[in-house]
Parts: sequence; structure tokens; C-alpha cells
Amino acid sequence: MLKSLRSFGLAILPQAAAIAVTMFLGFVLVAAIADEPLLAYRELLFANFDSRSNFALFINRATPIALIAVGIVFAFRAGVFNVGGEGQLYLGAMAATVVALFLSDLPGAMLLPLCLLGGILAGGIWGWIPAVLKVRLAVDEVVSTLMLNFVALLFTSYLVNHPLRDPEAYGALSRKVPESVWLPSIPGLPNASMGFVAAVILAIISWIVLFRTSWGAEVRAAGTNIRFAEAIGTPGGRRVIEAMFVAGAFAGLAGALYVLGIGHRFEQNFSPAYGLVALTVALLARVHPIGALLTSLYYALMLNGAAYMQIATDVPRSLVVLLTGLLVLFMTVRLRPPRVVG
Amino acid sequence: MSLTAHSEPLASIVEEVRDTGARLPRTKPKPAGDAGGHILELLGISKSFLTTRALKRVDLQVLAGEVHVICGENGAGKSTLMNILNGIHRPDEGEILIKGQRVEVGSPLVASRHGIGMVHQHFTLVPSMSVAENLFLGRNPTRYGLFSDRDAMRRRSRQLIERYNFELDPDTPVNRLSVGQKQRVEILKALAFDAEILILDEPTAVLTPPEVDELLGVIDILRKRGRTIIFITHKLREVKAIADRVTIFRHGESVSTYRITEVSEADIAHDMVGRQVFLVGRQDDPESPRQFGEDLLRISGVTVTNSAGRRLLDQVSFNVRSGEVFGMAGVDGNGQTQLAEVVAGLMPVQAGRIHFMDSDVTAAPISERMKLGLGFIPEDRLDRGLSATMSIEENVAATNYVAAGMLKSGFIDVGVRNAFASDRIKEFDVRGATLGQPVGWLSGGNMQKIVIARELARKPRILVVSQPTRGLDIGAAEFIQEQILEAADNGAAVLLISSELTEVLSLADRIGVMYNGRLPQVLRRDEADEKTVGFLMNGGDASTP
Ligand SMILES: Nc1ncnc2c1ncn2[C@@H]1O[C@H](COP(=O)(O)OP(=O)(O)OP(=O)(O)O)[C@@H](O)[C@H]1O
Ligand SMILES: [Mg+2]
Repeated sequence: MLKSLRSFGLAILPQAAAIAVTMFLGFVLVAAIADEPLLAYRELLFANFDSRSNFALFINRATPIALIAVGIVFAFRAGVFNVGGEGQLYLGAMAATVVALFLSDLPGAMLLPLCLLGGILAGGIWGWIPAVLKVRLAVDEVVSTLMLNFVALLFTSYLVNHPLRDPEAYGALSRKVPESVWLPSIPGLPNASMGFVAAVILAIISWIVLFRTSWGAEVRAAGTNIRFAEAIGTPGGRRVIEAMFVAGAFAGLAGALYVLGIGHRFEQNFSPAYGLVALTVALLARVHPIGALLTSLYYALMLNGAAYMQIATDVPRSLVVLLTGLLVLFMTVRLRPPRVVG
Repeated sequence: MSLTAHSEPLASIVEEVRDTGARLPRTKPKPAGDAGGHILELLGISKSFLTTRALKRVDLQVLAGEVHVICGENGAGKSTLMNILNGIHRPDEGEILIKGQRVEVGSPLVASRHGIGMVHQHFTLVPSMSVAENLFLGRNPTRYGLFSDRDAMRRRSRQLIERYNFELDPDTPVNRLSVGQKQRVEILKALAFDAEILILDEPTAVLTPPEVDELLGVIDILRKRGRTIIFITHKLREVKAIADRVTIFRHGESVSTYRITEVSEADIAHDMVGRQVFLVGRQDDPESPRQFGEDLLRISGVTVTNSAGRRLLDQVSFNVRSGEVFGMAGVDGNGQTQLAEVVAGLMPVQAGRIHFMDSDVTAAPISERMKLGLGFIPEDRLDRGLSATMSIEENVAATNYVAAGMLKSGFIDVGVRNAFASDRIKEFDVRGATLGQPVGWLSGGNMQKIVIARELARKPRILVVSQPTRGLDIGAAEFIQEQILEAADNGAAVLLISSELTEVLSLADRIGVMYNGRLPQVLRRDEADEKTVGFLMNGGDASTP
């Protein structure tokens, strides 16, 4: 027990150090440009905890990032560089919206699962396509997932601007989904969507699936050496495709949960590039599902904190972009990389 | 090694005439008159990884212009020391002197600036790039210091290739080259920037005997041109053939250095493993001739054609009986790789049938063949054998989850898995293996043991082994060969594919020789000797010699 605690501590030490150095450098920067650096930093770090409503916003921000990032962990473990989280997210959100609007007569207990299923399937298919292209035709997945993002964004944009547009609302918004499918709040935290609880549970399940089932072992075998995966009798290509379906499904679920729990309708630009943020999060978390969950909390903290900081002081919120950039730098830096040489 | 031994002069060359059979003394006073002096000295080098002490105050002194061979068991620290010299690892203590000058080798680039070039144990080429691109990877000649000058690159590659008489085309992508050709590209890469000291880490492990002879020829040429060569090998024949001096490593220490004229192969073997080594073989006991059971593996008329229409396997037919070792000899590249993949179920056939016992498995995937009792040891451990970045226990477990009861209602029982892995590691004496670490951290030979330990664990009925002892030290090779024979004695049908002729001759009950994808003849072990088999390997016909 003590030993595993120690090794856990050792494992996260570099990350903790990177965060500390980043925060310190950030403070130096803020001190250089702000009149009240202490206030600015307090807002950045702690305003999220000032009130229950701030905290709820923080939780809601973390949810989609965490879900997409955990999905991307599956993709990475299968050796696929999935840049398509954004498109999968949008399609998932749109599918949930469409199901909710068109089957609105169904009782909530039936409609809600259908909406979630719609989101999962739509996102999953959007992950499945580039995986099949990669496995069967060796199409580079970075290109295909990126391209599919544009398709998804433009397609959903068309739907929300034309057939689904709410004539009474200002802006590119769909009609509201029926209240029967709105997700409840986390008890004691009004407005914090239950979606976050789902993200936590799913992150834990993902860890178990990836590291404690033979399917997970096969996915990782395929992701690290597909010729080895074949030689030990596993269908490597199929595992890659399945893992990418899961990755897409996670992003699609994130979209569905956003619509059902937070937005209650499809909004044209509801995501501030969650897909890309989640990609960074997954990488910073060393492609580990639990790590991805924790890292997404940190990112949400910074994103929301920056807004509070900008309101309260003269520090622009884009400081956070700089800080996250620095963080990526420090986390990826390794003094001497371990080499695999015989 | 004791401290006093360190303070002695370290040339460690045996000068005196020894009593026959006596254990050689460890260190000797430095003899006078070694021409050239030390070009390279490694003094008191230590290196630890997380849990392993790979090197313990090792000394190595290399004379200018000599071929210095390093021998030692798997995991003795040979590659680690060379990686330190090449700037890949940093030593924990000790110093490196080049021409008497103390140097810090911080990176392979610094090493190449000091005139050190290295050929690694496992290939480091980029498969999709051409020979020329690989030769100049990361240091390609530029025009205006900005654009890479492809013409200059090609021209200089051609010059380099000509200088060493290697038959290579600078424009061929590396993934189309044979293993031997790849090896040459690696050597040229190390020589491309006029390395004075060339390190070759087990370059012959993957080569066929004629290729080995060629390589030894190249080394001799290099020596004549004044280069200094450090050469790692497990094959004692090569040591005797090429070395000026030999240093022997054991358990992270350099135990002795000899001038080659003063030691026998047996002495070297003895120093390496600390005991006598006997190479096993299939003993013919006239009292009780070996009994074979029914045919477990039947190959009939198997034909494989590549996309260009060339027949890689041409109407190959043979059977392997229970209890029998069928040895497949042949010069590499005559279809052995394809044969292994076809029997394992990793390559489809265009014609012919494959039977395991009574089941026709011609179209069955490898997973199904494994259920019928297939064990498969692929020829290249880092290609099909292992996933280098996955942990040791996961690599050992990979094909044994079901058979060894590691799954509890779909979930992996980590306790059972780790116990299973630990047992295998102990049984196969895998050195330096700590559970949880990536298998790629093991030494080359120890990785090989992991593959074999995994595949033999299921007690296969049909065992396909390619190049089982590639990269193993003699002690380990002996053990692995025993294991293969034991599998046969327990009733398995063993298909042993090896380019090591002596291995085939000593282990097999029947011997086939592949030539150009064909298997014209199968010899009984009493018909097969090196001459006949060698004749067949080059396309001869044994019935009309
Ligand atoms: N990068 C690494 N990380 C951790 N341990 C390592 C690493 N490289 C080597 N080792 C360990 O150091 C020891 C020496 O390994 P090394 O590769 O030098 O052996 P070797 O003498 O070259 O053996 P072989 O003949 O099998 O190639 C081994 O126990 C190995 O597991
Ligand atoms: Mg080695």
C-alpha cells in the first residue's frame, strides 16, 4: 500500500512540478502587466469556488472536456491520432437534439435513453469512418478526422440555421428540447449537470476496460505493434476500429449530455474547441483515463478562472492560452527520454 | 571486480603460457609493445537503471587499429556500455578517454564528432525512406544551408557504397531490402561520417553464414584502413576469426581481456557463463530409437505468390509427426519467412492445403490454430514477437490469458497474471526482468527468452519456431534448444526454421532445405551432413551430386 502510494507519487511528480512552474511563471507575467497581480491570480485560481453557481459552471465546463479526452485515450491507445473530437461532439449534440425534437411525444423515461443513444451512435460512426479508412486503405487518420470535422460542423450549422432553427430565438439556435429529457442537477449543486457524474464513472470504467480486460489489452497491443497483435491471434485491425468507435461515441455522448444537461438546445457554436482542448488534455495526462479526468478539471479551472480574472482586473483572459501553452511545454519536456535500445 | 584489480594496469592481456585446462587469471600486467596505444579507454563505468545495476565499475581499453570483441551473457551490460560510449546513456560514474583526452559524450552527435559510429543491435532505419535518405538522416547535405541537396546526397551515398563494395541501390526504399542488406545500410550509416571507432552491436545475429563471412571481410578491410572496431557477438567462431583481443563481460563487470591467440573457444565460453557448456543435440541412442507418432502437421502443395506474381512458396509439401523435430534449413529469403507465416495463419495461400491433425486449417485464422495447439515463435522479436512498450507481464501473458486461467469472468486477474509471468521469468532465467517495466528495456537476448517462454507455456501440439536462438548467449541457447527438444519429446510436432545450419543439424530428426520457395528434398538426419545440406542450400540436387 505504502509502496503503491509512493510509486503513484513518483508518477505524478513531474506533472505536479510542471503545473507549479507554469503557475509561477504565469504569476511573474501577471505581476509584470497587472496593477493588482495578487487579485488577478486569486480570481484565476479561486473564483471558481466563490459560489455554488461558479462551481456549477466549472463542473459543466469540465464535463465535455473530460468525456472527449477519455474517448481520445481509447484512440491513442489503439495507435490512432484522433483530431476529430470536435466533429464527433457536434454530431452527437445534433443527433440528441433531433431525436428529442422529433420524438418529443414519447415519455421522458424512453426519450432520454434514445437521445443518449443517438448521440453515442452519431459520434461513434464519425469515429468509425476514419478508422475503417485507416485500417483498410491506410488513409492517414489525422487528415481524415480533421476533414470530417469540417463536414460535421458545416452540416450541423446548416441544420440549425434552416430546418431546426427556432424562429423566436435570436441567433442560430434550435428549438428547445422537451423538459422531460433535461438532465437533473447534481444534488446540492443547482445547475451543475449530472453529466459530470457520468464522466467520472465512465473514466473509471474506461480504466478498467483498458487495463483489466483482454479487450483492452488487445487494443493496446494493436496500438503499440499491430503485427505483434496479429501474431498473438487477435484481430488487430478490428480492435483499432472498435476503439475509434468508442472514442467517437464518447465525444458524441459529450455532445448529447451538453444539449440535455446544459444547453437544452443545439447552439451553433457551443464548443470553444473542446475537441482540441481534449486532445491536449489526453496527451498531458499521458494517455490515461483517470489522468484525463483530473487534467480536464485543471483546464476547466483555468478557462473559467480566466474569465473572472478579466472581469475583475485588467489582465486579458488570453493569458490562459499562454499558460496552457507553457504547461504543454513543461509537461512534454523530459530531461533524458528513456530509450528502447537492445 | 575488486578495487585492487582496478588499480592495476588494465590491459589485462594474458602473456604467460598457461597450463592447459587451468582457469585463466583475471588480470595481467600490461605487456609492452602493443602498437598504437589506447585510442579509447573506459574507466570505472557504472550505470543503474530503475531497479537494475547494469554496469558495475567496468573498464575497457581499446587499442588503435584493433578489432576488439566483447562477449558475455545476455544482459551482461554490453549494449549498455556501448550506448554510453555512443552518448545514448550517461554513466553514473567513471570516465571516458579518447586518445588520452577525457571527454563527455552527451549525445550520439557528440559521439560522431569524436569519431564514434555505432550499429545498434536492433535496426534503427526508417523503413519507408530510401537507402540514401537513411544514410543521411538528420544530417543531409544542404544547398545554401537550407534546402536538402538530394543530388549530393545520392552522389555521396553511391561513393560510400562503392568504397565498401556493398551491392546497394541508394534509391531503394529500406523496407524492400533483405535483412543482410539492411545491416549494410546500418554499417554505412555509421561510417558515413568517417568514424574512426566503429561499434557493431551483434551485427551477425541476423545474418546468414555467407553474409557473416562477408561482414567479417568488411571488418578486416576496415581494420586495414586503420579503423578501430568494437564488435559484440555471441558466436565464438566469429571471435576466433576476426578478433585481435576479446573482453568478456559477466553480470555487469568486465571479467577478463585476452589476446585472441592465447585463448580457445572453450575458455571464452567458460568465462562467459562461469561453467562448462555443452551444446545439446538429438542423440541417437541405438538401444531405443526415437518413436514418432502420427502426422500432426500436414502441408500439401502450398503455394504463395506475391503481388508481382513471383512464387514465394512453390508447391511445398511435407508432414511433421508427433515427437519429431523437422528442421528447415536454407539461405535466408528462400521462402522460410513465408512458410512460417503460412503455417501460423498470418499469410493466405494461393493453393494447397494445411492440416493440423484432422482439421483443415487452410483458411483458419491464427486464433483458431492456436486453439488447436499452435505455438508460434516468429523470427524477429521486435516485429511480431513483442510489443516493446507494453509491460513484461503483458507480453508474457499475451497468448496465455485463457489457457493459464488469467481471466475471471472477462476481467484480468492481475495476481494470477503476475504470478504466471514471474514463474516464466524464473524458469527461463530472464535477466533483469522487473514486472511493470516495458519489455523493450530488457537486453536483446532476454527479450528473445520472453517470446519463447510465452509460446512454450501452452504446451503446444504444433510448434513453429523461427530462429529461436538468435541473439542468445551460448548458455541460453543451450537451454532453449533443450526446451524445444523437450516439447518434441512430450509429443509436439516441431517445425524448426533456422539459418543456423549447425542448429538444424543438431536438433532435427528430418531436414528440409528450402531453395527459391521450393522444397525439393527432405533428408533423414543420418543422410544429412553439412556438405550435402550446404549443397542443397545453393540449389543443388542431392540425388545427382
Ligand atoms: N533502457 C533501459 N531501462 C532499464 N533497464 C535497462 C535498459 N537498458 C538495459 N537495461 C538493463 O540493463 C541490463 C544490461 O542490458 P544490456 O542491453 O546492456 O545487455 P547485453 O549485454 O547487451 O545483452 P544481450 O546479449 O542480450 O544483448 C539488463 O538487465 C537490462 O534489462
Ligand atoms: Mg545487447
